[in-house]
Amino acid sequence: MGRKAKDSLVKGIIYLATGITLSVLLFIVGFIFVKGIGLVNWDFLTRDFNEKVVYAFIESNDVPLSIDEESLNGKNPYDKRYETHLEGPIYVENIGAAIAKVAYKNHSTEREQFVVTYIEKDSPLHNAKDSTGKDIKIGSDYILQSINGTDFDGLTLVEVAATIADESGELKIKIVQPGGGIKSNIITTLYMVLLSLVVALPLGIFGAIYLTEYAKPGKLVNAIRFAAECLAGIPSIIFGLFGMAFFVVALKFQISLISGSLTVAIILLPVIIRSTEEALKTVPMAFREGSLALGATKLQTIFKVVLPCAVPGIATAVLLSIGRVVGESAALLLTAGTVAQIPGTLFSPGSTLTVQAYYVAKEEGNIELACAIGIVIIVIVIVLNILSRVTSDKLDVFNKK
Amino acid sequence: MQAIKRKKQKETIIESFFLICAFVAVISVLAITVFVFYNGLKPFVSNSYPLWDFLTGVEWRPGSNMYGIFYMIVGSIFATLGAILIGVPVAIFTAVYISEMAGSRIGKVIRFAVELLAGIPSVLYGVFGLGIIVPYVLKISPMAQGESLLATILVLAIMILPTVVSISETSISAVPREYREGSYALGASKIQTIFKVVLPAARSGIMTGVILGIGRAIGETMAVMLVCGNPIAGIPTSLFDQIRPLTTNIALEMGYASGVHQELLYSTGVVLFIFIMIINLAVNKLVKTKVGS
Repeated sequence: MGRKAKDSLVKGIIYLATGITLSVLLFIVGFIFVKGIGLVNWDFLTRDFNEKVVYAFIESNDVPLSIDEESLNGKNPYDKRYETHLEGPIYVENIGAAIAKVAYKNHSTEREQFVVTYIEKDSPLHNAKDSTGKDIKIGSDYILQSINGTDFDGLTLVEVAATIADESGELKIKIVQPGGGIKSNIITTLYMVLLSLVVALPLGIFGAIYLTEYAKPGKLVNAIRFAAECLAGIPSIIFGLFGMAFFVVALKFQISLISGSLTVAIILLPVIIRSTEEALKTVPMAFREGSLALGATKLQTIFKVVLPCAVPGIATAVLLSIGRVVGESAALLLTAGTVAQIPGTLFSPGSTLTVQAYYVAKEEGNIELACAIGIVIIVIVIVLNILSRVTSDKLDVFNKK
Repeated sequence: MQAIKRKKQKETIIESFFLICAFVAVISVLAITVFVFYNGLKPFVSNSYPLWDFLTGVEWRPGSNMYGIFYMIVGSIFATLGAILIGVPVAIFTAVYISEMAGSRIGKVIRFAVELLAGIPSVLYGVFGLGIIVPYVLKISPMAQGESLLATILVLAIMILPTVVSISETSISAVPREYREGSYALGASKIQTIFKVVLPAARSGIMTGVILGIGRAIGETMAVMLVCGNPIAGIPTSLFDQIRPLTTNIALEMGYASGVHQELLYSTGVVLFIFIMIINLAVNKLVKTKVGS
């Protein structure tokens, strides 16, 4: 084979490899978006993961139907999770809402349920309260299970509508708020990001200040650098093991928000130390000398001259750290748990978005839902990526001046 | 004088505070090592489970007190090797394209893509593997399930791409221009220059990338857990066999294990830790030799 042919063959291979890398990325992101986008909507982001049964108290009040029967039927606002539409909808005046009978698919056993499909704008359902007098929001895919103690189980839609219409005065309705949302996971993720940054950021920044501004080359600095490198190389499952042994068991923090965030804080340390160090190193020596020559102490120089110049670098460190916390899963699986709830205290468990994505994929085999969570994660990752690009560009601009 | 003295004292105090902050990293590494090793070596020191059986056993049945991890070590190594074999060439060629052949704009786009690939959390690679790769493997597999060594290798090969690409690319870009010019002056073509001059010159950087890729592959947990099958016994003999790498063994059972079972999960962590330490030392050595030359 001639040299030219050989060269173009190799060139072809190089193009092919690059094409593979790019298409793998497109394929993965595309797969996650295509699979998951159907589930992403406002309800998905704002609802709890688990469905919740509540008793709603309303004052019955006859509200005439303001739209015609046909558009009521045509509206079809039910959630995708209701597989088959069995009967209805029928409009019930005293609660100002239409109900339909549907079969619920999200469970292994199919359940027949009565679901609210339409709510008039003057409906008393808008003023529903729970037993403590707090407002309850009732939406158009909530399930009704009983009214004033009469259970709907086994009834036909007409019977249920008649039962509701027979009641008057204050009504006590058993309602199932549909789950399937990731509100609690989003909030847990936010908590996790905040807590771990609160711990890791000062440690990392001050550590980096020591390494760049104070330390003289020697064994100590080498030890610290080596340790930071080691931390960066340890897989997250080992951090999880450590977090479990130390925070969860030895310090008796249990599987909780605090155990998870402290474990993640250790994972963040090398990220923050390294990027802050880089940022501090880019601040020209002349700045420090100028400050010192003006009679400022070393400390004043660091806090009033060096650190302000390094702010974009530190911002990059923060963004990288957020990305790391959002993406972390193995360590959190062992230290913060898989419970989809908003942690009430530092010592209660909660699952972040990634852990939840793992959980639904592994335990429920629900790829669509995992992909829907994945979309939220990828959007966060892309935003962080772009932001960190902006901040690190800022650092470059500063250097060129 | 007093004021200056006090100022000096304050500075010393704050300096030591900074030192302590920096030292947290060292303390963490020591604490992690001590805690994992202490828990992991307990069952062998107290003789509640023989070390030899642990290291050479090929069955993990906590119910009948059998804890062998040899088949997991083999699984981890096979999966990592496979991922390296597939992922590294693709990654190096991509790095060559970015640094030697792409225009600055296309280079930027690909670099951004690679960064994004690095930023995707491992769970999502697992979800992708479970949704696409596993069903595909099932189609060609003689076994009844798609979760397999092959699926694991493919997922890991994708996951090590960004690590190897970005580090190789950096070290290829760092090769001095003169090397290339010298080679062209001798009449070599671009491709010859890349493969006979540039890549050899960037060898140690590329090796570092590969070793970090190995580290990532062997330590990966969540993505692998979704696609590997996690059998309770058996050394994999074909690409379609299920495997249970060391990492997933820990993650799967740590939540509910207790007693010797839990301690032996820590022991699994110790074995993994030793693998990682060897890898870290190798990286350290490579980086040092690069600086030395």
